[in-house]
Amino acid sequence: MTGTPPPSAALAVGARGLAKRYGTRCAVDGLDLQIPTGAVAGFVGPNGAGKTTTMAMLLGLVEPTEGTGSVLGHPLDEPESYLRRVGALIETPAFYPALTGRQNLAVLAAVGSQDPRDIPGVLELVGLTERGDDRFRGYSLGMKQRLGIAGALLGDPDLLILDEPINGLDPSGIREMRGLIRRLADGRRTLLISSHALAELDQVCDWLVVIDRGALVYQGPAADFGAGSETSVVAVPERQDDLPRLRRLVLDAAAEQGIALADVRLAGPTLEERYLASTNGAPR
Amino acid sequence: MNATFHAELIKLRRPRVLAITVAISFLFAVGSALAVVLPAAAGPALERAGGATEAFSTGLGFTGILVFVLFIANFAAEFSQGTFRTLLMRQPRRLSLVAGKMAALLGFSAAALAVTLVLTGIASTLVAVTQGVSTGAWASTDGLADAVGDYARVSLSWSAWATLGMALAVVVRSAPIALGTGIAWSGPFEHLLQDAWAGAGDWLPGLLLESVNGEGGGARDVGVVVVYVALAAVAAAVTLRARDVTV
Ligand SMILES: Nc1ncnc2c1ncn2[C@@H]1O[C@H](COP(=O)(O)OP(=O)(O)OP(=O)(O)O)[C@@H](O)[C@H]1O
Ligand SMILES: [Mg+2]
Repeated sequence: MTGTPPPSAALAVGARGLAKRYGTRCAVDGLDLQIPTGAVAGFVGPNGAGKTTTMAMLLGLVEPTEGTGSVLGHPLDEPESYLRRVGALIETPAFYPALTGRQNLAVLAAVGSQDPRDIPGVLELVGLTERGDDRFRGYSLGMKQRLGIAGALLGDPDLLILDEPINGLDPSGIREMRGLIRRLADGRRTLLISSHALAELDQVCDWLVVIDRGALVYQGPAADFGAGSETSVVAVPERQDDLPRLRRLVLDAAAEQGIALADVRLAGPTLEERYLASTNGAPR
Repeated sequence: MNATFHAELIKLRRPRVLAITVAISFLFAVGSALAVVLPAAAGPALERAGGATEAFSTGLGFTGILVFVLFIANFAAEFSQGTFRTLLMRQPRRLSLVAGKMAALLGFSAAALAVTLVLTGIASTLVAVTQGVSTGAWASTDGLADAVGDYARVSLSWSAWATLGMALAVVVRSAPIALGTGIAWSGPFEHLLQDAWAGAGDWLPGLLLESVNGEGGGARDVGVVVVYVALAAVAAAVTLRARDVTV
């Protein structure tokens, strides 16, 4: 079950038969990937499915055992031709512990021949401005993750590859990340985001790639994945006062029409919403 | 390569790194001047042209292993911290990444060595003047030539040790294993072999470098060292290109 592939010129990432074997273990097994330019693509699959390995192959870190592909129109085996326009965060963010966040970004910018004047801007975007002059060694897990994302944003890339970007972020960090992803998704830039937080991906992704044991399970518009399997109706009155009456109405109408209801209940704000209302966001 | 050279310099030119380097140079200069010039105060041994940098060449003879260990630790850390992966996503040309870093580190070492040479000269002169050792011959052209020779010899052996350390780290990739192997080989192992095998001093890289540094090595010894260094660099380049970067 695969969505209609867009024409290949419009692909930010395309791959055919991509495979990676470590000895006898097949980490990625003949993957055909199609990620349209401008998409916000969620990349999901169980632990060990091959997500990180696939991303590492797109970034020139791991050489595919088999298969071909292209990134931003350049062949996969010439990463030097496209990596300048790609920003990435793979697995845990890795930086020099003795350098400050700002110095670490300066090193990255120098290596990639990017403009160091972008550094304050990306620190601001990820909410690290105040801690930018502290050493990376002293960062919390979430701050390290934020710096990793800042590093990926250097040079205003056309393709962002983020491996579990919300790993370790607190609820407000997750919400900021969601906002950031929405802002970055301007229709021109492509995002490929792996995550196990499916509810999060659901809110930001318009494209979905699902793999299991290195093989493709689904690839296509996110809304088409498992379409037709909805299970409930959610009705939210504009005025909270109407809630008891609405509930009564639903019960009565269902009974009248002979619809047996498995469950009717009043739902409150989610734990996330209640939590966010009681704390305020920035890391300290 | 140019870009990675500058990136490495960002790390090296931090005030803390510079301060520590200058402090070590200074302590070395004072320490070796006292250790070499004071005992000589009684006799005329140091009153020749190369006297001013005698402390420099004597004192630095044993620092090769230190450079070896520092380069192993520095390069292996890039792998174990995952920073090599971070950098590769910005600069996928692996050889140029490592070559740029190496050039910056060697340049920095050469500069630190030059500072040490000057400080040692000054400290030796001060000690000599207070001890009544005649320094008349030190400032001569011969004295300068001697200083340049000492500097060249030490920086050559430092560069060799550095390349061997870098190569070991790049091939092994794990800091503890690379450090363990490097220290065990260059320390006890080569010296034990020396007892068992008469030719050891002519063929083993650590011993050869010791003799090159100690002014006992001729062109042939330097040649063998260059071959070792070239082989190590090739091994590093081959593994760098071939192996996946997964951590
Ligand atoms: N360097 C390696 N050597 C051997 N096997 C490896 C290596 N890297 C990955 N693998 C194997 O490849 C498979 C896929 O791993 P990968 O890290 O790509 O999964 P993943 O989808 O990112 O999982 P997770 O959700 O846990 O991050 C796993 O079975 C893993 O054990
Ligand atoms: Mg993974």
